Amino acid sequence: MRKNLLLIVWLVLIMLTICTALVSNSTLVTTVAVTFILVLAAIKFILVANYFMEMKKAHSFWKFSIIFYLIIVMGTLLFILK
Amino acid sequence: MDTSTINSKNIAYPPGGILLWIIIFLELFTFGAALVAMVLYSKDEPEIFHQSKLLLNTTFGAINTIFLLTSGFFMAKSVENFKENKIEKATFFLKLTMVGGVLFLLLKSVEYYFKLQAGLTIGYNTFFSFYWMLTLFHVIHVVVGLVILLFNYVGFKRKSTLNLEDFEASAAFWHMCDLIWLLLFPVIYLLF
Repeated sequence: MRKNLLLIVWLVLIMLTICTALVSNSTLVTTVAVTFILVLAAIKFILVANYFMEMKKAHSFWKFSIIFYLIIVMGTLLFILK
Repeated sequence: MDTSTINSKNIAYPPGGILLWIIIFLELFTFGAALVAMVLYSKDEPEIFHQSKLLLNTTFGAINTIFLLTSGFFMAKSVENFKENKIEKATFFLKLTMVGGVLFLLLKSVEYYFKLQAGLTIGYNTFFSFYWMLTLFHVIHVVVGLVILLFNYVGFKRKSTLNLEDFEASAAFWHMCDLIWLLLFPVIYLLF
């Protein structure tokens, strides 16, 4: 199961990357599209940290720190862009 | 080789070690602050940022994302095999990880070549100042990461004393390059 899990995470990451590219190719760069692109980036970030870097197994402090970082950065970007 | 496991649930022992995670967060906050600054500047020159963004090759950016994510996947597989004491397989996946990194650098070089040919240098405008500074700084991290992985690879080949903590730290540094790129790609290539 563990072996397949990494493969599944990788496939999800590739699909999310393709989704991001497709959304960005739409001619309208709307607030919704921008939010969607940043949310997809945040999801990819969490997947890499939790599964490839094994933060899922780490102490809650480290998991919370990653979420905290994403909220700060993505939140600030969205606030400026809106 | 010492492939014994570490209790990652302990706050002082995140996978890769606490010192490396302090560095990772410092790096992430540095890049995050630079991206926030870039978006702030774009508010002053929205048309220039939009026109400049159209000069970037999004396909190159997306392919490079796939190269780094795939490389990260192989790195995770390598660590997994190392923990199971399957050194041959760990070495094989480590080699694939490095191939992913080299492919990323090759495609980035092609992209840089086209930009320089078109005269889109660091002083061209504000957008390209950020583009060059952020992507070049990231490229330096990828090169350093590759050197670290090469040391691990040589260690595997010589069957020298490589322990799990060292290997996890190397892997965490490599994944950090993924994380940084996952922030750079959407903001620089897609947002404006």
